[in-house]
Amino acid sequence: MIQLFHVYKSFDANVALKDVNLKVREGEFVFVTGPSGAGKTTLLRLIFGAEKPTSGYILISGINLNRIRRLQLDLLRRKVGFVFQDFKLLPSKTVFENVALALEVSGHKPSFVRKKTRQALKAVGLAGKEEVYPLQLSGGEQQRVAIARAVVKDPILLLADEPTGNLDPELTQEIMVLFRSIHLSGTTVVVATHARELLEDTAQRTIFLEKGQVVGEK
Amino acid sequence: MKIRLLVYFFRQAIQSLVRNGMVHAVGLGTMVVSLLIFGSFLLLFVNLSDWVEGWGENLTMSVYLEDGLDEKMKQAIMRHIQGLEGASVKEYISKERALEHLRAALGERSDLLESLSRNPLPASIEVIIRRHNPRRTDPAAIVKGIAALPGVSDVQYSEEWVNRFRNILEVVRLTGFIIGGLLGAGVIFIVTNTIKLGLYARQDEIEILKLVGATDWFVKIPFLMEGILQGLLSGFLANAILFVGYLILAARKTFFLGVAPIHFTFIPFDYALVILAVSAILGLIGSFIALGRFFNL
Repeated sequence: MIQLFHVYKSFDANVALKDVNLKVREGEFVFVTGPSGAGKTTLLRLIFGAEKPTSGYILISGINLNRIRRLQLDLLRRKVGFVFQDFKLLPSKTVFENVALALEVSGHKPSFVRKKTRQALKAVGLAGKEEVYPLQLSGGEQQRVAIARAVVKDPILLLADEPTGNLDPELTQEIMVLFRSIHLSGTTVVVATHARELLEDTAQRTIFLEKGQVVGEK
Repeated sequence: MKIRLLVYFFRQAIQSLVRNGMVHAVGLGTMVVSLLIFGSFLLLFVNLSDWVEGWGENLTMSVYLEDGLDEKMKQAIMRHIQGLEGASVKEYISKERALEHLRAALGERSDLLESLSRNPLPASIEVIIRRHNPRRTDPAAIVKGIAALPGVSDVQYSEEWVNRFRNILEVVRLTGFIIGGLLGAGVIFIVTNTIKLGLYARQDEIEILKLVGATDWFVKIPFLMEGILQGLLSGFLANAILFVGYLILAARKTFFLGVAPIHFTFIPFDYALVILAVSAILGLIGSFIALGRFFNL
C-alpha cells in the first residue's frame, strides 16, 4: 500500500526527514510516533502528496508520487482520508455539509451523498447533529466530524495526524475505538501521535521517528 | 459536464456573490458606471450618425443670384434646376424676403439693419434634390453645373456640412473605441480584485476542497461563473440605466447646433446584447486572471 525508499525532505536548511525507508501493507494499522519535531506530520503529508520529497521515492498503491500529475493526485486523494489535528472544518457549513463536501467533489448524485453522509455521521455517533455548525460542538465531536468526512468516501487509506492531540483521555479512547472499527472494515490506517498512553496497551505495529529518522519499530 | 455539477457550481457562485455582498456591490457599481460611460458614447454615436445620415438623405441647396437679374434669366435658372433628376425648387427668396428673414432672426437687435444704405443680401432659390440613390448622385457635379449658369453668384449645399459631420462622427467613434478599451481594462481590473477578495475569503474552503480531492476546475468554475454573473448583472444594469436615460432625452425636443431636431433612438437591440456579452466576457477574463494568480495550491 505505502512504500518509501530513501526519502529525504528538507525545508531550506532544516532537514525534516532523513533516509526514511518504510513499507505498510494493505489492511495494516500502524502508529507513527516520536517527540515533537520528529517528522511525523511531514511523513504523513508526503504520503498524502501535500509535499514532494527532496529525494527518494514514495509509492502509494503502486503510484509514484514523484511523477504524479495534478489531476491524478486529486483523484488519489478521493481514495485517501486525512484527519487533521486542527480538524480543518468549515465553520460556515453545517456538520452535514462539511462531511458531504468529500463526496460532492467527486460529482456523486445528491441522493447518494445524502445517504452516505448520514451513514458516516451515524457511524461516528453524530446522528441528529447534521444541521449543527462545527463551532457549536465540543472538540471531540468536531474531531468525529472530521473522521466522518475522511471515511465517508470509503477510503483505501486513512491518515490521521495527532487526531487526539486536543482531546481529553476519555474522548481519546472513543476516537481510537472509531479508528479500530474503520480498520476492521478493511481500510489501511496510519496514525501519527506523540501520546504514549495510546501506544501502551496496543499490539499494533508502531514506527518510532526521531530527528527525521526511523529509529525503531515495534 | 453533468447538469447537477453545473447546478452545484451555479449555487456556489450565487452563495459567494451573496456572502461577499458588499465587495460585489462596490465592484458592480464601478462596473456599471464604466459600462454606462461606454454605452452613453454608443448612444451618442448611434443618434448622431442617424441624424447626419437622415440629414444627408435630401440634398438641400441655396442658389444665390446676382443682383439686378431680370425675370427671364431667373426663370431660365429655375427651369434648369427643375430639369435635374429629383430636383425641385422649394422656394424663391427675394432680396426683400431675405432681409425680412434676417430681421426676424436678429430679433431685438434688428435695428442694426437700419443703418444699411442698401440691402446687401442676394436673392436665392432654395432647392431640394431627393436622392433615391445617394451614391449615384454627385452633388459636386450638380453644384458646378448650377454655379456655371449666367446670373448665379454662388451655390451652397448641405452635403458639405454632412461631410464635415461625418468626419466628426469618425472622431467620436475613435474616441469611443479608445475610451471603451480603457474602460474594458478597468472593468477587468475591478473583477480581478473582486474575485481575488472572494478567493482570499474562501481560502480555507479551497484548501479543504483540495484536500478531499477536488480538481482545480471543480474549485475554479464557481469563481469563473461568479465573474460572468457579475459581468452580466452589471451589463444588464448599465443597459437598463441607459434606457431610462434615453427615455428622458427622447421626451425632450433636442436641436443639435440649432440646425435640425434630433429624434432620439435607443441603441439597437444587438448593440445592447453586445454590451451584455462584452461585460460577461470581461467578467470571465477578470476571474481568469484572479484565479491564475491565486491558484498554486
